[in-house]
Amino acid sequence: MSDIGKVRLRLPSSIKAGDVVRVRCLVIHPMERIERDKSGKIIDKKYQYIDKVTVTYLGKTVAAFDTTQSVSENPFFAFAFRATDPGKLAVTFHDTHGATYEGTADVTFG
Amino acid sequence: MADSGTMTRRTVLEALGAAGVAAVVGVTARPRPAAAQSFGQNETVDAALKRVFGGKPIKDGGALIKLDVPLIAENGAVVPVSVEVNAPMTPQSYVKHIYVVADQNRIPIVTRVALTPESGQAYMGANIRLGETGDVRAIVEQSDGTLLQVKREVKVTVGGCGG
Repeated sequence: MSDIGKVRLRLPSSIKAGDVVRVRCLVIHPMERIERDKSGKIIDKKYQYIDKVTVTYLGKTVAAFDTTQSVSENPFFAFAFRATDPGKLAVTFHDTHGATYEGTADVTFG
Repeated sequence: MADSGTMTRRTVLEALGAAGVAAVVGVTARPRPAAAQSFGQNETVDAALKRVFGGKPIKDGGALIKLDVPLIAENGAVVPVSVEVNAPMTPQSYVKHIYVVADQNRIPIVTRVALTPESGQAYMGANIRLGETGDVRAIVEQSDGTLLQVKREVKVTVGGCGG
């Protein structure tokens, strides 16, 4: 559990200006699922799961995910963006306990 | 229970007890504001679609949407899904949202992705949980409000939602 919040972000190895780039990202997170007691009733508690993921590139939002508990443990997401200028790509994960986890990558052309 | 209709001390107490529980549940459930009601809820898929789309007609989007899911998912806890929409992404016309819905899940709405013209291409991927065999839908909302969907059945060997 100590790994919780580790973000991995993966870009293609070579990017040309103007390309539409597909990015894959992954965060280590338990994504707690709904628990039930013996009679099948849902246990009411504040489940810890990621409910928001935002992707920004050069300070502008490219994609925003709203997620529920139907997303797997250690969630993986993929998205696309158009690489126009070199700069920072940041993916931020927010969970229901108020924690945020961020992963960044530098977009460079080569 | 032959005398279930009559009012004994026991039935009265039971009724009072149930009412008490109901009152407590009512009190604790009410103060939650509507906004805190999370996006995903325990509901049927029909109720979920009605809540999210307000009963708007959803057209078939087989020509535009490419939904990539496995035919058989051995492990329902991790099912890779990707959605690609063959539509232009210009400020005039673009794909606004991509929804992923798993019909048989207790929480059918899996994710909603909000896209902008900067995305360049309407594409998303995610690993989702599937409780049991059933349809997985991708619903696309375009900037003019048109709703399109495709669905594919995924066979699940071991469910991944637990509970």
